[in-house]
Amino acid sequence: MAGEAVSKASRPPNPCPDPSLPPVVKKKRNLPGTPDPEAEVIALSPRTLLATNRFPCEICGKGFQRDQNLQLHRRGHNLPWKLKQRSGKEPRKRVYVCPEESCIHHNPARALGDLTGIKKHFCRKHGEKKWKCDKCSKRYAVQSDWKAHSKTCGTREYRCDCGVLFSRRDSFITHRAFCDALAEETARVSAAYTMTNTASIGSVDSLLQDGVATPNIWKHLSPNLKPNIMDREVGQQDRHGCSSWMGHGGRLDNAFDGTTAMSEINHAGLVDSQLSWIHCNKLSSLPTSNTLKPLMGSVPSLFTSLPHRPAPDVSATALLQKAAQVGAISTTPFSGSFGPSECQNTSAGDGSVFDGLLIHEFAASNTDEVYITRTRSMLRDCLGGATRDFLGVGVQTLCQPSANGWI
Amino acid sequence: MRNTDPCHHHPSICCLLEPKDPREEEKWAAELIQECAKAIADKDSSKIRHLLWVLNELATPYGDCDQKLASYFLQALLGRAAEAGELCYTTLISAAEKQQSFVTARKVMLKFQEVSPWTTFGHVASNGAIMEAMEGESKLHIVDISNTYCTQWPTLLEALASRGSDTPHLRLTVVAMLSMGRSVMDEIGRRMVKFARLMGVPFEFHVVSIVSTLGQLTEEELGLRKDEAVAVNCVGALRRVRVEERDAFMRTLCALRPRVVTVVEEEADFTTSRGDSVACFQQCVRFYSIFLGMLEESFSPTSNEKFLLEKECSRSILGVLACNGGGVCERREKASQWCERLTEAFAPTAFNDDVIGDLEALLERYREGWSLVPAKGNAAGLYLTWKAEPVVWASAWKPIKP
Repeated sequence: MAGEAVSKASRPPNPCPDPSLPPVVKKKRNLPGTPDPEAEVIALSPRTLLATNRFPCEICGKGFQRDQNLQLHRRGHNLPWKLKQRSGKEPRKRVYVCPEESCIHHNPARALGDLTGIKKHFCRKHGEKKWKCDKCSKRYAVQSDWKAHSKTCGTREYRCDCGVLFSRRDSFITHRAFCDALAEETARVSAAYTMTNTASIGSVDSLLQDGVATPNIWKHLSPNLKPNIMDREVGQQDRHGCSSWMGHGGRLDNAFDGTTAMSEINHAGLVDSQLSWIHCNKLSSLPTSNTLKPLMGSVPSLFTSLPHRPAPDVSATALLQKAAQVGAISTTPFSGSFGPSECQNTSAGDGSVFDGLLIHEFAASNTDEVYITRTRSMLRDCLGGATRDFLGVGVQTLCQPSANGWI
Repeated sequence: MRNTDPCHHHPSICCLLEPKDPREEEKWAAELIQECAKAIADKDSSKIRHLLWVLNELATPYGDCDQKLASYFLQALLGRAAEAGELCYTTLISAAEKQQSFVTARKVMLKFQEVSPWTTFGHVASNGAIMEAMEGESKLHIVDISNTYCTQWPTLLEALASRGSDTPHLRLTVVAMLSMGRSVMDEIGRRMVKFARLMGVPFEFHVVSIVSTLGQLTEEELGLRKDEAVAVNCVGALRRVRVEERDAFMRTLCALRPRVVTVVEEEADFTTSRGDSVACFQQCVRFYSIFLGMLEESFSPTSNEKFLLEKECSRSILGVLACNGGGVCERREKASQWCERLTEAFAPTAFNDDVIGDLEALLERYREGWSLVPAKGNAAGLYLTWKAEPVVWASAWKPIKP
């Protein structure tokens, strides 16, 4: 044994001294962090753990990271059979604790079973990350981890059941969680979780509608400028019976009798006649404006709707000059300004869409349900798109007969 | 996308047609809006009217960034003028909610996350902090108050599943914000449950709808249990708490005795300048032009998802400029301000090297322009910067022991 080790020859306490620790007895013994109660607990110093030559050869003094490597080396010295044997090595199992006090493996009850393991753990968790992947900047403290990562970084592709390919694992996972392919897979199995959300099925239309319907004052400002869109909106209103600020069913109908909010404001007398230009055409709009493409395609900006060589009097500069004239002419003061004014008492309470406190219990699993711990490879299989329903058919109540399940 | 037709040029300020540098002309909306703010502060009604008229002529939500900005601000200003801001806002929200479906919400969120790290930055940082704080725990309860429709959780579920020997039990309680419709949240819940089952993580999902304001959330509504380790995840949440209720809200969070509170917010100050229209407008214009510019550069020009995000942006501007109190609040604060509030009950905890590495790796996968900058001075946490401007702030907090 190397001289630098600080050895605590003590037994680890009973793995379950504290009810808040996970009940170790139910798990397999050689899982990390669940040591054999009979083992000897070794606490090595950080320096020792990071050292690369803890095991020196007594013949030539060469240092090795692992005992196995030292043994292999010793064979090369052609020692007589007797000396090949290790002298006084205890057959007793050793477990190692992490020297970092805040670490969970500092507790002997969570010690790790082999030296290489504790060295890697210490290095990974508490060591300096010297190795960096040049493709994705991920950093590693252990060189072998870095090497392993570099081999697969960027090469891995993830395919969802729905057919989409991803190069990034995180976007694949997020996609998969919400993907309809996942939903369909278990739809047949679970009647309680039906997917048919009638609102979403009509969503293609609502998508279109979202694109077209504008909640603001533009449709009233320049009806000539966007004739196509206006038509579509009107058409859609008939079809869906609603548009952003038009009257919906329900309580909004009372507030907005088929008009936009701006009109409502105007009707309420809040907007002075001086702002009546809101309801007129823009100066820059032209009577025929058929250069507009449908909204889902590219919608040209205001100015490209003008002919290619706009006459000087519709250029922006001229516009402003006109504005200056318009502004100068009108003399009546602007009432109902940004100061306080008598507001019509619109029942703003109608805006609240929540009726009361609602707590939706969407408990998916009752406490009887038992889950089986997955290993990493199974996880990979599932994410790889294998459609096997690992938990079998009938997911509502899973009561696996095996006692080795989830608590 | 920018119109380069040489025959037109954008005017900068009405009546003040000084010859300007062509590059300067691109920022005409900001200047116009600022002039408007000044006019409002000066109560110069004819000038206000005048400027609104000009804005109206030049604005369109279908144009370039300046035209959009002009359009949204005009809408907000008119709402403000008519003292109908709250009404407009809640109408817009409920209209949007009615039109929204799980499919569109999903589409918008996932596409946004694909082209921009604006939300994923906060997710990766928060999940990293949560994983670290919950290490060794077997029963987790995450209280999720966020505006990202649970897109944060699949990667966390995967991390929990592959954590090692013991996969903990996870309970997720989502506090639904104003624009998140019931049917959408239910569908999201169903998907989360299925996915958790696929991952082999024991899972429970609840949605809590708040009736009044977020600031009045109580412990009872969340249904905490005795033996669980709690994490509170606030993404775009704190700004929705009414300003006068914010300090109390911090105390409410502390009373939940969480292991960690993760906070992600957008870096802008719309709070201290509440009374001062010029400063408030300036902050708004600055922030939203960065945001719109980012959207422009991240999405394809005709993207419908971008359009929906812009609509949300216009609602947000209305919320900030035209709503004062009531149920509507979107008053952002900067990191240093949030830190001042949080340090009353919490102490900041640093993100570990793994998380930093993950964040850097995350940013590598997006277009140029994004970077990670640690907060300095009296702010803790990390900033996501876009073209050297800090835009999103992520931090993690532990309660100070009494």
